[in-house]
Amino acid sequence: MSDTMYKRHDGSDIFMHWFNAVCWLLLLLTGIGLIQNPVIDPLGSGYPAVLRSLVGGGGNLLLLHEALGILWIIGFLVYLIINFKGARFFLAEVFAISPARDMLWMVKKMVLMTLGPKPLKMLGMDPVLPDQGYYNMGQKAFAQASVVGGVVIAVTGVVMFLSDRTFGAAATGMIGWAVTLHFITVGLVFAGLLVHIYMAAISPEERPGFKSMFTGVVPGEYAKHHHRLWFDKVQSDDQQVSE
Amino acid sequence: MAQQLAMIIDASKCIDCKGCMIACKVANNVPEDQWRNWIKGESGMSRPGKHNGTTKFQPGACMHCDKPTCVEACPTGATYKDEMTGEVVIDESLCIGCGNCIPACPYGARFRNATKRKADKCNYCPERRAQGLLPACVDTCPTKARVFGDINDPDSEAGRLFLKNKEQLTRVAARTETKPNMFYIGDPGPRDWGGEAVTPASMIAMKEAAPFIKGIVGLSGLGVLAMLGRQLIAGSDTDHKENDDV
Repeated sequence: MSDTMYKRHDGSDIFMHWFNAVCWLLLLLTGIGLIQNPVIDPLGSGYPAVLRSLVGGGGNLLLLHEALGILWIIGFLVYLIINFKGARFFLAEVFAISPARDMLWMVKKMVLMTLGPKPLKMLGMDPVLPDQGYYNMGQKAFAQASVVGGVVIAVTGVVMFLSDRTFGAAATGMIGWAVTLHFITVGLVFAGLLVHIYMAAISPEERPGFKSMFTGVVPGEYAKHHHRLWFDKVQSDDQQVSE
Repeated sequence: MAQQLAMIIDASKCIDCKGCMIACKVANNVPEDQWRNWIKGESGMSRPGKHNGTTKFQPGACMHCDKPTCVEACPTGATYKDEMTGEVVIDESLCIGCGNCIPACPYGARFRNATKRKADKCNYCPERRAQGLLPACVDTCPTKARVFGDINDPDSEAGRLFLKNKEQLTRVAARTETKPNMFYIGDPGPRDWGGEAVTPASMIAMKEAAPFIKGIVGLSGLGVLAMLGRQLIAGSDTDHKENDDV
């Protein structure tokens, strides 16, 4: 049984994940270079000036950032057309929370990952994590932040893109808030992204999950231990099918 | 010493002909109902009969301040103080017309260009200067009320006037001190009409939020380091079995 591989991602899901990852990286690198005000510059260094001189000026950097942003949005729209079912499944799974189980999982997992099982035992708590479904609460939390944040970033980005193309002077209040929301949302999602990258790519525990982001499948043993509720559901579904 | 391009204005020479305003509009293709410069006058002065004091007209425009509040309001550095020339410049390729800088000027020198949809103001006519000409308003002024040049260069006309009249130079006061580089010789007429530099609430929110965002990203980074530290020190295999095997 442990040799059986279970399907988790379609080809389009895998493509979208890495397409999004590359877009976000490039958008982040170019976007930070567009902030040049000593009070808000996230790095507080000469980074924007260096990047601007590399691409031939701030105007070119802005164009590059806008082009990447539009490519990112178009990529998402194409994905939604190709795999709407997959996107709907993803959203349903990501936003389905069973509060007691998931909050307990989140608290325990955070303690286990940083301090280990001892503090939990000292408090008289069982260090065993509650069973999780298709996604665990950590994955769900970051996915929710990415979905909501992504929509906010895309909408505010489009508002800024259209600012000097269609909007009149009366719209500047809205454009100013779009700038601010874009900045804050990217910051918050980036904070989550750091944990996501560590958990998925650096921590050895999730190695099979990381591999599945290339192959689309995970071993049964991993599915059983990490996504028990999903594993059980798939098992019973399979039995029904074979009967 | 770096340059400081500036205007030295003798308001007593101004005859309110509006030549500078028209010349600017034509040279810079400024849209209808929008102006990069102005002439301010005392109200009622042109009525016949007795009135108090002398007639004064006050030409003005962007004052290319030493402490430009418009620059502080710009998130991207699309408007900046040029260190070499002392000008306050707008990089139109980088400006998206968010409008933050417009209320941030206490002199109302900025506007959102209706055609370009970007911030606009006096730029001392760089295209004309590149050809060895003076800014359009200065060039056209029939009474030479406006003098333009580098006030740090004692050999320029502006620098000569700046040094010679140092004692009697005045600036238009605003409720926010921006150290403007537009100097009037003697009495400029109304001199305290400058308002307050207003930073839009969205820009204030972004400035206030910035340290919190840095803090949250920092905390997240610390969390990752803590996990990485535990992974390297305690290893994760034993940990893994203990926690996840049911």
